[in-house]
Amino acid sequence: MTFPRRVTLAAAALLLLAGCGAGPAASADGDPAATAPAAAYNDADVMFLQMMINHHGQGVEMAQLAEQRGSRQEVKLLAAAVVTTQTDEIGTMKSWLQEWGEPTDVDRAPSAHAAHGGLPATGETELAALKTATGRQFEQQFLNLFVGHQHNAIEMARAEATDGASPQAKELATRIERSRAGQIQQMLGLISG
Amino acid sequence: MRRSIAYPLAAVGAMLSTLAVAPTPAQAHGYVSFPPSRQALCAQGKVANCGPIQFEPQSVEGPKGLKSCNAGLAPFSVLNDDSRAWPATSVGTSVTFSWVLTARHRTTTWQYFIGDRMVAQFDDGNTIPQATVTHRVDLSGFSGRQKLLAVWNIGDTPMAFYSCVDLQIGGGAAPAPQQPAPAPTSRPSTPPPAAPAPAPTTAAPARPGGTAWAPRQNYRVDDVVAYEGRSYRCRQAHMSLESWEPTVTPALWLAL
Repeated sequence: MTFPRRVTLAAAALLLLAGCGAGPAASADGDPAATAPAAAYNDADVMFLQMMINHHGQGVEMAQLAEQRGSRQEVKLLAAAVVTTQTDEIGTMKSWLQEWGEPTDVDRAPSAHAAHGGLPATGETELAALKTATGRQFEQQFLNLFVGHQHNAIEMARAEATDGASPQAKELATRIERSRAGQIQQMLGLISG
Repeated sequence: MRRSIAYPLAAVGAMLSTLAVAPTPAQAHGYVSFPPSRQALCAQGKVANCGPIQFEPQSVEGPKGLKSCNAGLAPFSVLNDDSRAWPATSVGTSVTFSWVLTARHRTTTWQYFIGDRMVAQFDDGNTIPQATVTHRVDLSGFSGRQKLLAVWNIGDTPMAFYSCVDLQIGGGAAPAPQQPAPAPTSRPSTPPPAAPAPAPTTAAPARPGGTAWAPRQNYRVDDVVAYEGRSYRCRQAHMSLESWEPTVTPALWLAL
């Protein structure tokens, strides 16, 4: 809320926008004569999709671990369904970016994340922690991590619902917000179960 | 490598929205997930009519040093309401608390209070916490129903995050297992007698085969459901969720 790093982040956000949110005008590496329909979208849509593709990929990796190593059937089924649906959503999101002539990979704006020095690289730490855990301990760790992960997805989706322009991307954001809330509900039950 | 930037980017996203007017809830944070805190019970739907806390249990943030369950935030005042009959988790005298974190902030201490007494403190020395955080707290000396306040004191801001946890102490070593979601083996609810495919609110179901699709059901491969006038066959076992409707999850449901 009142985090001093807000300023840094704001700067980083702008950098990132400059870096990868090329905007609807023309794609860097394609014919600007636009084969894709002139869909209405803005930088927030592009950012959202790029970030969500990345976030989903990380989620799929975590869920795959849970699919293999969870002990309860409910946990394994949830993880498997997450892998399936999120993989599907990644495909959809990539296809929209490609249609718009925008990069699908946030890594293509390397200068942008150099500015994030102050923030922890959570993803790898999370996976490392999961990989060493076993049995019921694994499940509890996975569930706590994944609840946090999906809270993040909801935060990103809410930002898109507010700031985005593309109707299809906003609709996906709404769906993500609702389905992740459902998953969180289920997972909190499993944590207590 | 790709992974390593996901969270910073999420943070940027949150900031971005802040820049652009959005009344998005504050980025980040955390709460006690087990034994379930009051906000976790709300988010889980175990306690109903909680208001906005249901959707952001991680946001109970206030200045350090408070002793309230809601961090002084009016929209979350339900958390202070002891008359809500919060279910208490049965625990022994040694309890392991786990946290859900949505962002890992530098941390000074984690503190646990019952009444005015601090029953435990874990000093992180202003470092960034592990990806998952658990603490074992000794509650010997306490028994019966107790309201415990857990506090996460952030190192690089004046803020802290608050979670109240209702406990029933002394019932034995293991927490009484609560009933988790429906048993995984159960079939989707049996078709309501007689009623020909109860139409899912929207108009127009022709007469598709299968029972009406519903959220929070355990579907198994080859189960057939009806949704918005069409039939779908389940391709992958799962518990259904709102917004995992068959129309938008072709990976889970094959349209027939």
